[in-house]
Amino acid sequence: MDTPAPVIATQALTRYFGSLVAVQDVYLNVAPGQFFGFLGPNGAGKSTTIKMLTGLLAPSSGSISILGRDLSTDPIEIKRQIGVVPEGMALFGRLTGSEYLNFVGRMYGLDRVTAAKRAAELLDFMQLADRPKALITDFSHGMQKKLALAAAVIHGPRVLFLDEPFEGVDAIASGTLKSMLQRMISRGATIFLTSHVLEIVERLCSHVAIIHRGRLVAQGSLEDLRAGVAAQSHAALAPDAAGAAGDPQPPLAPGEKLTLEQIFLRIVGGSRAVDQELSWLG
Amino acid sequence: MARLTSAEIRGQLSAIAQVRWHIFRNSLRTLGGRLELVSRIFSYFGFTVMGFGGAVGLAFGSWSFVHGDRVELLAILFWSIFLFWQLFPVMASAFAENIDSSNLLRFPLSFPSYFLVRVVFGASDPSTFVGSLWLLGLSVGVAAADLSLLPLTLLVCLLFAVFNLLLARAIFSWFERWLATRRAREIMGVVFLVFVISLQFLNPVLQHVSRSHAHPYQPYLARILPYERLLPPGLAASALTQARTGNLPLLLGALALFILYSLVVLWILVVRLRSEFSGENLSEAAARSSAPVAKTGFTAGWQIPGLPGPVSAVVEKEFRYLSRSGPVLFTLVMPVVILLVFRFTPATSEGARSILDRVPDFVFPIGAAYALLIFTNILFNAFGAEGSGIQLYFLLPVRFSEILAAKNLSYSFVLALEMLFVWSATALIFRPPSLGITVATLAGVLFVFLPNLSLGNILSLYSPKKFDTAVLGRQRLPTASVFASMGVQAVVIGIAGLTLFVSLHWGNVWIAAVVLFALALVAFFGYLFSLRAVDRIALGRREQLLTELTRAS
Repeated sequence: MDTPAPVIATQALTRYFGSLVAVQDVYLNVAPGQFFGFLGPNGAGKSTTIKMLTGLLAPSSGSISILGRDLSTDPIEIKRQIGVVPEGMALFGRLTGSEYLNFVGRMYGLDRVTAAKRAAELLDFMQLADRPKALITDFSHGMQKKLALAAAVIHGPRVLFLDEPFEGVDAIASGTLKSMLQRMISRGATIFLTSHVLEIVERLCSHVAIIHRGRLVAQGSLEDLRAGVAAQSHAALAPDAAGAAGDPQPPLAPGEKLTLEQIFLRIVGGSRAVDQELSWLG
Repeated sequence: MARLTSAEIRGQLSAIAQVRWHIFRNSLRTLGGRLELVSRIFSYFGFTVMGFGGAVGLAFGSWSFVHGDRVELLAILFWSIFLFWQLFPVMASAFAENIDSSNLLRFPLSFPSYFLVRVVFGASDPSTFVGSLWLLGLSVGVAAADLSLLPLTLLVCLLFAVFNLLLARAIFSWFERWLATRRAREIMGVVFLVFVISLQFLNPVLQHVSRSHAHPYQPYLARILPYERLLPPGLAASALTQARTGNLPLLLGALALFILYSLVVLWILVVRLRSEFSGENLSEAAARSSAPVAKTGFTAGWQIPGLPGPVSAVVEKEFRYLSRSGPVLFTLVMPVVILLVFRFTPATSEGARSILDRVPDFVFPIGAAYALLIFTNILFNAFGAEGSGIQLYFLLPVRFSEILAAKNLSYSFVLALEMLFVWSATALIFRPPSLGITVATLAGVLFVFLPNLSLGNILSLYSPKKFDTAVLGRQRLPTASVFASMGVQAVVIGIAGLTLFVSLHWGNVWIAAVVLFALALVAFFGYLFSLRAVDRIALGRREQLLTELTRAS
């Protein structure tokens, strides 16, 4: 069976900031319809990667292909088909929510009636319609996040990039957003999401990539990652395994199913800090 | 409740001092930080000169007043110091050290420690430095004239310094509180606008008063003086006057009243800082209404005939921003105000009602030039108001040149409106400008405006700076943009003015109209050429633009 062409693909994607290598030789492959979680510790290169994928930052080298088009040569056509919630949310503080969504819709080429209709629907859906005169600058952080998400989907994008979309969003709104995103996936959209909340990624995403110190250290479906980590753990337990004594992770019990958090910690080796003794703590 | 030991308090205060030192030291890692230090060294050198120079002057003044047995005139010196100490921080807010002390509230800090931090660190500004030097100079002068007054002078000056310090901190803290919300800042913007407009009329009013009275201010001064002596600067001088005449009860009364003033100001400051300390909520988000909200319909955006949808959308967005901006309102109103000021400023020669009556042909060009001068500022930082919204422009399937063209179109509409205001004001206040003058002036405006647009677009990408459109003042353009703007104004307004002047000299204003239209046409091609470069520049500068405009202010 033919594998479908990836919706997002990068080749040796690299970005330097002066002498610092923020992202190095990243090969990403996201297939159509995937809910893709992009994880990594703080400072690992997540935001840099998502900024490069959305055109907010130029790569130092390597290439990016979205929906089969090269981002460096065909940015306008790609931008027409993607939606983005960037780190800073990209809002215009001195517009009302409705004015902003209208503006974004029209910038994506919607006619003014369609843009206005969708803006009204989205404000209703996101429970932002009860303060029609309020300026965005007076919105709470959670409300701004919901508005940014509404703006990212107003044109019905085929690919959605979300940088920490659930940060600062309350539980009720978070449930609404998740169901909206899952509905988009069921209709064939592809979602690329970064989040620090691993429970959310585990619940939503079918595929995951982990970046650590600028390098992609794991990529695949959750089941693939689970199997890979479990295999490594068993190999480390073997009597002749070198370095087994130094493995900070507890061994896996037979039949134990790893959570995404456990997979993540095993891959990036994050348990060391927990084990350190801070004797002065109560 | 457990009390903090003095050792703990000392530790906290030294930690705060240390963190401020670290912030300063780390700021020197960047070129901007080092340049800031150099500019601060220069400015503090200036303040030192100002402080010592003023101190010498005050020493001489106080010596001459005491030596000449006119001790009560020391009130003039105390009033000068008082006004400088209180007004200078407002005028030179860029030099003030405004630290956000709210971060300290999460630590187990006692209120006296918090109070001390706010007062001491907040007072490390030029006005305290210069004011203290001036008081020292005043003390030296008094002591040189009458050594027996030295202890009392030192006491009075110390009290006066403490009073000024507390008052300046109290005013600053209350202003900070009032300006904590966006709406309050906007109201203050309007108040500031009214204040600036009122100032413009001060000179004509004073000139009229001066012409109608031989000693116009004497009756007012005579009425004010008795009250002046009851205010802190007057009381300080009064205490020294009573000491000189040996009137102990009045001396003690003056000192007691002075201390009472200081205690009242202290109380006002404590009330404010106590609220801060107890964690007041300055949120400006309106409470959510509990009543269910009926589903609202939708309102479609603008569609400007002949323009593509995205360009119309940007124009609409720009108009919404501009209509909610105090500074734009200011630029619309000011040229008309200036014409009114000229109308009411009496002419120096007989036969003319006002100074512009002698050159009626130049009223509309002068008004238009003034409007251009204050309006073109916004062209040089076209993305400053967007803040983090600038990211959106890089995410949208629209070229930067289209976005800038739409912004330029909005500015052009506003300028056209502005010219209509100026023309109408000229016609109503003076007389309607002739057709030739109107056409030549509009051609000149076009010629001046287009190079400003071209350079403004480029500098908006090269030298952006985040600013709040709702706030008047206290927001400087990037220095490079200021110099470029001044340079281009000097050249193009100079050419336009000279053309108009020569053509009027030859008695045919239509020559200027033709020449300026031809120049405007050249400028228009230059504008189109610069617009073509915008996409490439924006892409190359996107990281700097995003970093500069999305950073927290």
